[in-house]
Amino acid sequence: MSLRFLSLLLATTFSLSAPVALHAAPRTTLVLAVSGEPAYGYDPVKGWGRYGNTLFQSTLLKRDAKLNIVGDLATEWKASADRKLWTVKLREDVKFSDGRPLTAEDVAFTFETTRKEAGTVDLTVLESVRAVDARSVEFRLTQPRVTFLNMMVTLGIVPKHAYGPDYGQKPIGSGPFRLVSWAQGQQLIIEPNPNHHGSKPAFTRITFLFTKEDATYAAARAGQLDLAAVPATLAANVPPNMKRVAVDTVDNRGLLFPMQPAKGEKTPNGATIGNDVTADLAIRQAVNLSLDRKALAAGVLNGFGSPAWGPADGLPWDNPEQRLPDTNPAAARELLLRAGWKPSTSASTSANASGALEKDGVIARFTIVYPASDGTRQALALAAADMIRKSGIQVDVAGKAWDEIKLLAHSNVVVFGWGSHDPQEIYNLFSAGASGKGYFNAGYYRNATVNANLEKAQQAASLQESLPHWRAAAWDGKTGFGMKGDATWAWLVNLDHVYFVNPCLDIGPRQIEPHGHGFPVTWNLQDWRWTCN
Amino acid sequence: MNMHAPTETRALAAASAPDAPLPGYQRLRTLVAAALALVVLLSIALGAALLPDDGLATNLSARALPPGADHLFGTDPLGRDMFTRTVKGLALSMQVGLLSAGFAALLALVLGVSAALHPKLDAVVGLLIDLVMSLPHLVLLILVSFALGGGTRGVIIAVIVSHWPTLARVLRAEMRQVLAADYVQVARMLGRSRLYVARRHVLPQLLPQVLIGALLLFPHAILHEAALTFLGFGLAPHLPATGVLLAESMRSLAAGLWWLGVLPGVCLLGMVLMFGRIAEGLRLVLDPRRAQD
Amino acid sequence: MNAAFSWRAFALRRALRLAILLPLVALCAFLLVSASPIDPVGALVGAEVMHVGVEQQAAIAHKWGLDQPPAERFLRWFGNALQGDLGRSMIFDDEVIDVIGERLLASLALMALAWTLSGLIGFGLGILAGALEGSLWDRLIRGYAFVLASAPTFWIAILLLLFFAVQLGWAPFCCAAPPGVLPDEATLLQRLHHIALPALTLSLLGVAQVTLYTRDKVREVMASDYALLSFAQGESRLGVARRHALRNAALPALTLQFASLSELFGGSILAETVFTYPGLGAATVDAGTRGDAPLLLGIALFAALFVFAGNTLGDVLARWLDPRHSRAARNDMAADA
Repeated sequence: MSLRFLSLLLATTFSLSAPVALHAAPRTTLVLAVSGEPAYGYDPVKGWGRYGNTLFQSTLLKRDAKLNIVGDLATEWKASADRKLWTVKLREDVKFSDGRPLTAEDVAFTFETTRKEAGTVDLTVLESVRAVDARSVEFRLTQPRVTFLNMMVTLGIVPKHAYGPDYGQKPIGSGPFRLVSWAQGQQLIIEPNPNHHGSKPAFTRITFLFTKEDATYAAARAGQLDLAAVPATLAANVPPNMKRVAVDTVDNRGLLFPMQPAKGEKTPNGATIGNDVTADLAIRQAVNLSLDRKALAAGVLNGFGSPAWGPADGLPWDNPEQRLPDTNPAAARELLLRAGWKPSTSASTSANASGALEKDGVIARFTIVYPASDGTRQALALAAADMIRKSGIQVDVAGKAWDEIKLLAHSNVVVFGWGSHDPQEIYNLFSAGASGKGYFNAGYYRNATVNANLEKAQQAASLQESLPHWRAAAWDGKTGFGMKGDATWAWLVNLDHVYFVNPCLDIGPRQIEPHGHGFPVTWNLQDWRWTCN
Repeated sequence: MNMHAPTETRALAAASAPDAPLPGYQRLRTLVAAALALVVLLSIALGAALLPDDGLATNLSARALPPGADHLFGTDPLGRDMFTRTVKGLALSMQVGLLSAGFAALLALVLGVSAALHPKLDAVVGLLIDLVMSLPHLVLLILVSFALGGGTRGVIIAVIVSHWPTLARVLRAEMRQVLAADYVQVARMLGRSRLYVARRHVLPQLLPQVLIGALLLFPHAILHEAALTFLGFGLAPHLPATGVLLAESMRSLAAGLWWLGVLPGVCLLGMVLMFGRIAEGLRLVLDPRRAQD
Repeated sequence: MNAAFSWRAFALRRALRLAILLPLVALCAFLLVSASPIDPVGALVGAEVMHVGVEQQAAIAHKWGLDQPPAERFLRWFGNALQGDLGRSMIFDDEVIDVIGERLLASLALMALAWTLSGLIGFGLGILAGALEGSLWDRLIRGYAFVLASAPTFWIAILLLLFFAVQLGWAPFCCAAPPGVLPDEATLLQRLHHIALPALTLSLLGVAQVTLYTRDKVREVMASDYALLSFAQGESRLGVARRHALRNAALPALTLQFASLSELFGGSILAETVFTYPGLGAATVDAGTRGDAPLLLGIALFAALFVFAGNTLGDVLARWLDPRHSRAARNDMAADA
């Protein structure tokens, strides 16, 4: 009461100092807060644009609203019969923002430099690349890769004549925009690139604000933003004068299981491999059965998400056949009992205080590890643990830094998130050869049939022809990485990416967005229009 | 006066030090306040041990409830009971504070006394003190906990490393004074053994200083633990540490969930103030000479 | 002036002290950072580490010289540091010295404002409390100072943010300038609008110490014989405080302010984090949480210099303003060293 009086008093006294609206119609400027500031600057060689939009550079290929691959710089692209040699023809009218033409040399330079740079873009499959003439480029691969196309979709082309260590700070490219100013940790300001070969943006200046989630939300409430990415936890309260756009994604979160029993095996950097509890299929399937994915999506994500059943729900290479029904801890317990897990005979022992099931002296117990910096994953871990406990498994939860997770990931259940426009990710997650490379196949999953299916997919003539093989890898009726097969993961939820958008701003059709909040939402930024006066 | 002594400790000491020779009733009041504070703190520790862990579990059907009859301090966005978390957080803070303040006082005692005993040791300890003091506390705390990879152990060691010098200086000066005092000189001349002198004359002088010093360090230890944890260098985020609670509250601040940030903070403040009361009472009992300073 | 005091000797002593301390601080900081179990490569790419192969990680480690023995790395780093090259920040992908320089500007504005504010407010309150010892004013001010000294800085910051930015909407929620405004385009008013709340918060921290300290000094003066004489002559307490205590308390208060630069720096880390103010403090936290060893080291070195400069300035000021102080202070220092 008195507080309100005080604030009223102060408000009237100081009302002159209240912030005024920054913009008046008609609008030629935009302020967006989508997060996703690149650590390395706007340098595709160092990983910029791997998800979503490169803004400043163009790519050889791009995806349209329905995720079909279409040409951008490339007019033609084809693979040889053995699919190890790719030839790409370039269009002729492309200029960099500094006015110099973009040629095959630049393309070869970009791929070559990226491979050597060894940043966050993995091009180890590329054996060599060369400019055949000014308009055509040849890529030689060490092995067939139907997913090599994705590199052409994501890798922005940099100018050979203007590339150096500081490129990421002041990028020059042939994309729809050019950089005006970047204050790291604060904001990026861009303007249209007059030399761009595609459609022309409607705004003369666009600002990206790199604020933390809570600050973004507050700025949106204060009417300072035209588009704000908000976490699901804050998505319920839409600020007045903004509308909410929830975008479907393949941005998923799930629990990764260590697949091998603990036999003392270690990775080259000393991390233990294996976990005797999760190596048991019954445990992994029981976890999958006992989860209430709907409740997770409704409770943790505030309804801005959906249950996740696999690594690529809704994408063409997904196989819904692999799913098992969930929200059934009783069935989970039943499954465990049938598999030989028994109620603890020595429930009073301190080792098994919670009375978890046991089998041959092994207590049904594991730890869910999550990255401590990620609030949503923490929430998912805590809530999922409480659900799994009902089936008779004891679950501990631990927040760790990423570098610790790297050492724990092969012997503990970890909350990971994936989601890509490209099935290469399926290959990375489930092929035995990818085991322990970064976080690829961190559970050391090995299944010869699945491997064979994945290889068949990679060597298929086209993405379309590869689809049955990807699906078979998940579940072919007998085995697969999916729930009915080896249940390598307990997928939890697919996140919606939620944005608060100024109702006057038309942001066109939405793509299904990949893992990671950030620039994917700007995939068609050059086509955004202001619809009010 | 000493330019480099941390002013914060001085400020706390100055604020808690009574102004004039205390009349009897004021003395009583101070002692009663200290006793009450002690009782409250003990009951927090006991309460934390007795409170069921249910409150720490997620409850997706009771998310983000404001304070009310069912949940005294409300619930967080995962439906965890904030009262349980706050009480357990305070108890955790006390544990961390007790360990770090205790070890810091011990380190200060060892180094302060050895510095007073030998000029060479004095030079070494002096250099160590200068070294620690040459960095802002928080920077040193971040460096040490960075070196140890964060975590509870990291915080405790960081607080010990950064907090001993103040007390070490006090003890060094005290020790010098005691050694130079007439009665000690006389005792030495009378042929009393070093051990006897130490036990009979030095210890009774130093012990109150150590105890009071440790108590005065306690709030700093707790506050710095919370700050480090808040910045992301301290206790793990699934622990109900006060720093964690407050850092988490930042996430929902803009959405108006004020109780997540306000209530645990008030409790932390109250706890620190209570330690001040106890230090005051202890000073009165152990070191009346200085208490009337 | 006191003839016995030599400014040259003073300068030499301070320089010698710096020459000993700085390498030691550097060595300790380097050892600490090197001992960290945080894998810089993993921390650097964060969640992105999922998409980086083993070969890439080795290459990144090599590029940053992380695969060399620590002793060699220290010597190389410190040698370069002495020439002003602090290495390259991993997270900002820029020279550490440039990152510090850029961030320092923002932080200096913040700290200078907070420092002045806390000095003025604290001194004023201290005089008032000391002069009116035992009054309601005194008790209020003392209680306020005591509560402030006991409250977590970052929590006070959160409360102010909650009230002024979220509840009232007067202060911006973050940053040093409004969104969409180029850094050079921001007007003075806009900058002030963004710096006000962080600076106020930071100054609140310092107020407590100066207040309590000044109050003590003033109390001493008020109990002195000449103060009693003045009372006897019918002067008011505030009048006596103004005539005698003001001068006597100003100098120690100023010295205390300089000595508190260390805490000011620490406080700025917390304030900048809460208010998302892009200064050196926020960079410290980023460097620490994201494993940017070169930047963290650079900031540690800079912080040591900053604290040293503050203490030296305080000493210089003390001697300059008050020659009487010199002998005693020198003895004090000698005992300290």
